[in-house]
Amino acid sequence: MTEVVTKDELGEAFAMFYGMAAAIGDMVEPAPEMDDAERVQRAKDTFLHGLDGTFALQLDVCVHCGACAEACQFYIGTEDPAYVPVRKLDLMKRVYQRELSPLRWLHRLTTPEITADDLRAQQTLVYDACTMCGRCNLVCPSGINISEMVHLNREALAAAGLMPDELRFMDDGQAADGTIFGADADLFRFRIEDLEQRLGFAIPVDKESADVLLVTSGLDIHLFRDATGGAIETLTHMGIDYTLLSDAYEGANFGLLSGDVKVQKELTRKLTEAAIRIGAKVVIVPECGHSFPALRWGAAESVGKPVPFDVMTVSEYFGRAVMDGRLTLEPQKHEKPIALHDPCKVGRWGGVFDEPRAILKACGYDLHETDSSRTYNFCCGGGAGNFLIERADPLKRAGYRVKMNEIEKTGAESLVVSCGSCRMNFEVGKVKAGDTMPVESLAAVIAAHLPKTPKEAAE
Amino acid sequence: MTLLDFARGPALEWAAVIFVVGLFWRIGGLIFLARARPLSRNRRDDLWRGGWRMVWSRFVPNRVFRDRISLQFLAGWVWHVGFFVVLLMFEVHILFFEGLFGLSWPALPNTVILVAAAVTAGLLVMLLIRRATQPVLRAISGFDDYASVVVVLLPLLTGLASYAHLGLAYETMLALHLLSVALLLVWLPFSKLVHVITMLPSRYVMGVKFWRRGVEV
Ligand code: SF4
Ligand code: SF4
Repeated sequence: MTEVVTKDELGEAFAMFYGMAAAIGDMVEPAPEMDDAERVQRAKDTFLHGLDGTFALQLDVCVHCGACAEACQFYIGTEDPAYVPVRKLDLMKRVYQRELSPLRWLHRLTTPEITADDLRAQQTLVYDACTMCGRCNLVCPSGINISEMVHLNREALAAAGLMPDELRFMDDGQAADGTIFGADADLFRFRIEDLEQRLGFAIPVDKESADVLLVTSGLDIHLFRDATGGAIETLTHMGIDYTLLSDAYEGANFGLLSGDVKVQKELTRKLTEAAIRIGAKVVIVPECGHSFPALRWGAAESVGKPVPFDVMTVSEYFGRAVMDGRLTLEPQKHEKPIALHDPCKVGRWGGVFDEPRAILKACGYDLHETDSSRTYNFCCGGGAGNFLIERADPLKRAGYRVKMNEIEKTGAESLVVSCGSCRMNFEVGKVKAGDTMPVESLAAVIAAHLPKTPKEAAE
Repeated sequence: MTLLDFARGPALEWAAVIFVVGLFWRIGGLIFLARARPLSRNRRDDLWRGGWRMVWSRFVPNRVFRDRISLQFLAGWVWHVGFFVVLLMFEVHILFFEGLFGLSWPALPNTVILVAAAVTAGLLVMLLIRRATQPVLRAISGFDDYASVVVVLLPLLTGLASYAHLGLAYETMLALHLLSVALLLVWLPFSKLVHVITMLPSRYVMGVKFWRRGVEV
């Protein structure tokens, strides 16, 4: 593997990036004015538009047993009843009961209308205190899909002009130029040239057609270059016909995270059309948890018909190649055990579990699983954009602690993740808690175990 | 007309009508709402397998949750089973159902029924107290939650009292028992008790959703 970023460079970039994220609050424009009646109306319209028969059935079936609290990192970490998962659906349930329920004539007598103040109070519950990780869905005896209904809450708040400042800043930025943190096409090209120099080969960009479209993200362009570099090095090693595109390189989707459906669809449509244009058979999304659902489950929706390509994450694509024998990695002697974090959107919400494990096995690692692993994995504490929300810091710390305690219990001495925002959250969490567990990118791990070329072997 | 005549006559008949119409209304209203259909490709087909799997798997909490919720699940299990044992396996109830539907089945000994009813009622009282005192449950509980426990508890308490000839005169107690059953029938379609019908379909749709994404739950 060629070192595409040194430890010092990564440390510097991390400090710069962290500063940039922390300054969002100062840079953000004031939220557009909207009167309270309009906020309420827009939120209600959004709820009613999104509430289909399945959600209605599930809102109706809660037995208020409280079990969901025992699955949620934010309740476990704070023991504050305010964060019981099902409470995050209370507001939406009121709209459902008054407007849509078969018993609405009865509920209207007892259930108050929602107000703009209710909407404002809802903000911390569905942005700060929920990463839509879906773990509560796994314990609920009624099988209620709390996390996706929380997303509908985010959509309603976004429509009511009430998303948190940090996410509004990111959403507006991506609506304007398609990317995040100002990682525009020039910076993208700069990073590609930088990687070319370090890797020592030309990276295919803007090919007119290719079997594989590799997508990156502003986070990787600024910070986690080893993740994109690792994917590029491995694709080149495998001799895959791939390309990156300077008009479709951003996998992040803050429309999805903020609840701004219009921006979400537009960003996904852009990537989808680019993939169709070049005849891609597979689109590999970067090590960025939410870019996977944005495209994997959103591409067809964004163009209104099935799409002719598969969407895979880095871990899934290379993991399958290892499992099928198309990619051989060189096992090394690793004395120290490692742990693996399954990003919620890729694991629990995407079914990608065996692939990263196959990779780690092929690399010769001694993987120690956390108590709650695979489907039951805890979130890193900062998913779904809440790693950017400043006031959510105590909650993020609580979530991080729950997760890190499980990791430390395994006896592992380093942690592998395949999601930039999880990685970011672990890094910040470590600094704040004084922890020292090294956190590595799975893509970089793969690249570090590629068989040596004859030249490298001779050296 | 005595209270008992009223209870076993018009009260139960009307309650049964409200029960049936109410259930149709509530369930029908849910069935007729449109459902979103995804366009993206499934990661796994045979979706029914995922749904079916979850209908059953969710009866027992996964290993990772056991330390935190086992007792609660167990209490829930015991009182639900106890309630249905008393409802369906008590010889007097079987005679009642035979009169109604013409079908009969073997009963369990009365002592077993008595124990089941007492344990169920005891657990329900404990769960009611827990709901009122445990901070998480208090925070998420409303009138429906408390009232539903009481409405389920009443037929058990009045049934036990009439069986054991406790409290009021036997006929009055029996009338109260039948009235409490009528209340349960009327209450069920309009309260959270409707989960006896909707819970398994809800699990099914969640199981399908996960399965489609390649996740077995
Ligand atoms: S989705 Fe995750 S963070 Fe949100 S309420 Fe459920 S368990 Fe908690
Ligand atoms: S676990 Fe499910 S049924 Fe129980 S309170 Fe939470 S959402 Fe409601």
